[in-house]
Amino acid sequence: MTMDWLSGYGLQLIFGAVTMLSVALVALVVGTVLGISLGTAKIYGAKPLRYSAEAYTAVVRGVPDLIVIYLIYFGGTVALTKITGQYVDINGFAAGVAALAFIFAAYAGDIFRGAIGQVPRGQTEAAHALGLSPRAAFFRIILPQAWRLALPGFGNLAIILIKQTSLISVIGLEELLRASSVISGATRQPFLVYSVAAILYLIITSIVSWGFRNAGIRSNRGFA
Amino acid sequence: MLDFSIMADAFPNLLKGAGMTGRLSILILLLGMMLAVPLAYARNAQSIWLHGPASIYILVIRGIPSLLQVFIVYYGLGQFSFVRNSALWPIFRDPFWCVIIALGLNSAAYTAEIIAGALRQVPKGLVEAAQALGLSWFQTQRKVTIPLAVRAALPAYENEVILTIKATSLASTITLLDLTGAARLEVSNTFAPYEVFLTAGAIYFCITTSLSWLLRRFEVRLSAGHRNEERRVKEFQPVLPGIPDH
Amino acid sequence: MESCSSEGGTVVMSAVTKRFGSFAALKGIGLSVDRGEKIVICGPSGSGKSTLIRCINRIEKHDGGSIVVEGCLLDHRLTNIDKVRREVGMVFQSFNLFPHMTVLENCMLAPMLVRGLKAAEAEDVAISYLRRVRIADQAAKYPSQLSGGQQQRVAIARAMCMKPKIMLLDEPTSALDPEMVKEVLNTMIELAGDGMTMICVTHEMGFARQVADRVIFMDEGAIVEEGAPEQFFRQPKTQRARDFLSQVLH
Ligand SMILES: Nc1ncnc2c1ncn2[C@@H]1O[C@H](COP(=O)(O)OP(=O)(O)O)[C@@H](O)[C@H]1O
Ligand SMILES: [Mg+2]
Repeated sequence: MTMDWLSGYGLQLIFGAVTMLSVALVALVVGTVLGISLGTAKIYGAKPLRYSAEAYTAVVRGVPDLIVIYLIYFGGTVALTKITGQYVDINGFAAGVAALAFIFAAYAGDIFRGAIGQVPRGQTEAAHALGLSPRAAFFRIILPQAWRLALPGFGNLAIILIKQTSLISVIGLEELLRASSVISGATRQPFLVYSVAAILYLIITSIVSWGFRNAGIRSNRGFA
Repeated sequence: MLDFSIMADAFPNLLKGAGMTGRLSILILLLGMMLAVPLAYARNAQSIWLHGPASIYILVIRGIPSLLQVFIVYYGLGQFSFVRNSALWPIFRDPFWCVIIALGLNSAAYTAEIIAGALRQVPKGLVEAAQALGLSWFQTQRKVTIPLAVRAALPAYENEVILTIKATSLASTITLLDLTGAARLEVSNTFAPYEVFLTAGAIYFCITTSLSWLLRRFEVRLSAGHRNEERRVKEFQPVLPGIPDH
Repeated sequence: MESCSSEGGTVVMSAVTKRFGSFAALKGIGLSVDRGEKIVICGPSGSGKSTLIRCINRIEKHDGGSIVVEGCLLDHRLTNIDKVRREVGMVFQSFNLFPHMTVLENCMLAPMLVRGLKAAEAEDVAISYLRRVRIADQAAKYPSQLSGGQQQRVAIARAMCMKPKIMLLDEPTSALDPEMVKEVLNTMIELAGDGMTMICVTHEMGFARQVADRVIFMDEGAIVEEGAPEQFFRQPKTQRARDFLSQVLH
């Protein structure tokens, strides 16, 4: 029993955790870029762009994550099958990352919008008065300050994202939860296995949460 | 592109699923609220024996995916023979009740955090004023603290209601035919994921959006009657504005 | 295509109007400023002083009339705006230093991004101006670690680092604690000695007396009176200016 854990199952869980973290990390990066674009579109965009961004957020907020994941996974499979003319099983990792990034972006967009709105208008004015281009003013002056204001909400989202990776198990990607299900089937000790998984999740979310709090403290340097 | 006849055919079954989604949501929110109130008071209590366990409970629940919580209740508890032999086994064997227990316990943690935050925001001066007038602790809670806290908590609670409705879709992973479960069944019969999931998504969207609109109107009416107090307690802010929390 | 000519005054505004919704903030401003001239603008709160000087570097867009700065007509053309902003420095009432950058970085940013200076050159320029406002020893600090007066002096240095031909100052001392007003005023007086064109909104009458070539009194979006400081302070021509001065001076 102990040997099984040390050799096979433990390793399987670790692999699951690594897969989970890779999904989360890629989705985080993609989702952040999308989220900043979305938040920027909502503040600076022309009307059609602004309304599309608002509609996007409303839809993602109003529909369960599982539906988004299924739509992208099964929908993607059907689309690819139509295009290529033969059955294509879409990559679970890619579908999972895409779905989670889309969801993340919707919420991150609003956090960034709020944060950008909180940067005093005088900062933009000072940047313009110094002759900085709108681009430079945004990336050098507004975004770094907005980033600091967005950090707590953003950290919250990152933790939600880590937990959401468990949903990818429904499309067969062997992340932490899926690995636990497989092992509990083999060992017939579901409570034990799921508890171990729960502890792993708890450790990871705690570390990330702690990390963001630290980042928050560091990014506050220079601010009263 | 979309085949509307598939959508029309699937619609009645999806609506049936939506009924299940509604039943689950109501029971989960009720259970969550019942547990959340004592948890919130414990969380704000001075004694470490009260706020320690409450804080740990909230921390643990919030650190673990809800789907894992559903699996622990539904698959995990059956591992123990004392559970299987107990009078409660019919409940723990039933996916319907398992989802309600798992997500109810989950919702309790988030709701408790909202309520505890709202209670903490009630200005100390108002409580002291009530006590100076001779009101008991219980009277102060009933007449001063709770009415003010409810309004502070409402925006965040509205968010929690929407998130709970969305979370009930997890029930589909343990064989329940809620809206998501019904949609999956339809897809496996028709192989038309776009039509079916878009229809299901639209139904979810209608439910959450209309409910969110209703709750917000309720909020506005509630605070309209208290304009003057609103001005007096100026630092009153909704808890966790706009940030999702699951 | 050269869109700016080099003739005429440094700043020429004629019949400039500006509305915020239905509210007319500027009602036909005519103002011509010569090279090297020092102008002080005063007037009651809400009279449009900030709006006026913010139109000069197009932080605010005017609706009617024309504004020519350093020979460039201010209109929708972005190249003109860029050119004007390069030549016009601005100091704000609330400093508006960038809080996420050190004092030195605040001063180096625009020379590098806008003038294309190398980091080393920008640093030399920044240090020299920080020295002139007597704050070079604080170069590595963040703005929040400085007092209000120090922050405003940094803001002046930051604007100077762009070597502007015209300096706009919008109530640079009115957000300061009384004991810090003097250090900033002294810096401004030194600045005036450099021969730069200055347009300054302020109620500091001592500064106006000492430095200004011309005082402009505004009320309700219009220039009500203008003249040499001595004459304006001693014998204002209009009742509105008299009322205003009696309030400011006591
Ligand atoms: N962005 C704005 N939106 C609406 N009204 C404004 C805005 N900026 C200034 N105003 C109005 O224009 C008038 C002139 O403002 P301002 O130029 O700031 O006055 P001053 O600097 O002389 O105190 C004021 O009544 C002010 O309320
Ligand atoms: Mg002003």
